[in-house]
Amino acid sequence: MIYLDYAATTPLDADVLQAMLPFLIAEGSFANPASTHGPGYKARAAVEKARAQVAALLGAEPAEIVWTSGATESNNLALKGALEFRGLKNAHIVTARTEHKCVLDTCRHLETQGVRVTYLKPEADGIVTPEQVLQALAPETVLVSLIWVNNEIGVVQDIPRLAPLLRERGVLFHVDAVQAAGKLPIDLRAVPIDLLSVSAHKIYGPKGVGALYVRKKPRARLAPQMHGGGHEWGMRSGTLATHQVVGMGAAFAIAAARLQADAEQLASLRDLLWQRLQALQRILRNGDPARCAPHLLNVSFEGVEGEALRAALPDLAVSSGSACSSATAEPSYVLRALGRDDELANASLRFSLGRGTTAAEIEQAAEKVIKQVQWLRELSPLWKP
Amino acid sequence: METITATDANPFGYTEPIWRLFLQTPHAGEFAPGTLGVVTGEAGSKAARSVLRLQLRFEGGRVADVRFKAYGCPSSIAVGAWIVDWSLGKTAAELATLRAAALRQALEIADDRAHCALLGEDALHAALAALAVQ
Repeated sequence: MIYLDYAATTPLDADVLQAMLPFLIAEGSFANPASTHGPGYKARAAVEKARAQVAALLGAEPAEIVWTSGATESNNLALKGALEFRGLKNAHIVTARTEHKCVLDTCRHLETQGVRVTYLKPEADGIVTPEQVLQALAPETVLVSLIWVNNEIGVVQDIPRLAPLLRERGVLFHVDAVQAAGKLPIDLRAVPIDLLSVSAHKIYGPKGVGALYVRKKPRARLAPQMHGGGHEWGMRSGTLATHQVVGMGAAFAIAAARLQADAEQLASLRDLLWQRLQALQRILRNGDPARCAPHLLNVSFEGVEGEALRAALPDLAVSSGSACSSATAEPSYVLRALGRDDELANASLRFSLGRGTTAAEIEQAAEKVIKQVQWLRELSPLWKP
Repeated sequence: METITATDANPFGYTEPIWRLFLQTPHAGEFAPGTLGVVTGEAGSKAARSVLRLQLRFEGGRVADVRFKAYGCPSSIAVGAWIVDWSLGKTAAELATLRAAALRQALEIADDRAHCALLGEDALHAALAALAVQ
């Protein structure tokens, strides 16, 4: 099996696992980090060290990091929290049609509560221009939410150029940086983003933990979505999962140390894969290749049916680039938003590379894909070479 | 035509007959243009993302050789492979008895893929209609 689905999730780094284990067992620091006794303070210190490690990768202050259960919760907290704090009446959000489902579905929920949402249509290359965003702003616009690196096509939005423009206009800016963290340099000291979501398991940390960056100066105010003991400055109550946050901190520290080397290696292997796939005629790369995150390659294959393509590659773990299940073979809404027709949106594969990916795997994967696409095209009564 | 070199593992949960026929696609291909005794039947549409083309070569009133081509999901590809294999040695009258329900039973096709069996029935009946015209 060749695993090329690192954008879906990554394996836990061995050092991260070792960092986590002491916080689960009696001999270690299993105490509740909110407890006011020695073991509690020790667990608390580990949580705070992890908070600083996450903050360091983002160029943030530790006190700006709020732990969550993952990026879905972070995105929910950012959008619902900001809107509810401001008041939902006459509120307006600007986002894009190519956002992650957890942003789109949260926006749809907010629409049922009376919020107006503008869903921008990106250009065919996946880019949402800052000018497009500015044009969509209205006096009642509370927040703009954009994904930094699109999870399906890898396109990198020009967040650093947009952020100051929104700051000037007093509009909150939320960024889903799940696929950007650890792949691109992020410096929140220089880029005035107000809210930013990250996840641990996309960069070799554990599943089930994430964080929301909430800017202190100027302070981004949120209404909590989880009420309880007032943890995390009242923004997210609940006993912290010490081992999880320690794992996330360790993963972010490793990512910070490896950022440039990882990005260079991933981009070089990704480019090798794209180069090898050129042996096939009539394939299309989705998203602007000049503005693509290093670990992602999304390709549509003309003349093949998507489900058959995926089934023909049973020993390749890739994503279909669509929210497809066996029951409803719905083509990717992201690719359709870019103007791809249903057939091409359906016959697409998202290859996402990680630290474990080797050049030999890329060669083998390319060979398999080429062979099976050629086979399905030969089998098709419609294919005309 | 080359068959795919997948492992026997079926990670997608297809039924055994569908997975086996999809992997092997026996009789895939087409007859050389002008081959005597060949009738062709086609069903489906590109818009519906499934097209099945069956070719039957008759000799002495019976199917002597077969080919098929398919564009679509693994179930529709397996339906094509199954029908042409089943057709071998049969007369037109025998072929006319095939119904989608029998295809669904043979390939254990689930309710949400019933259209794949109908595609097969339609393609076979189109071939028989072409034979009647001949």
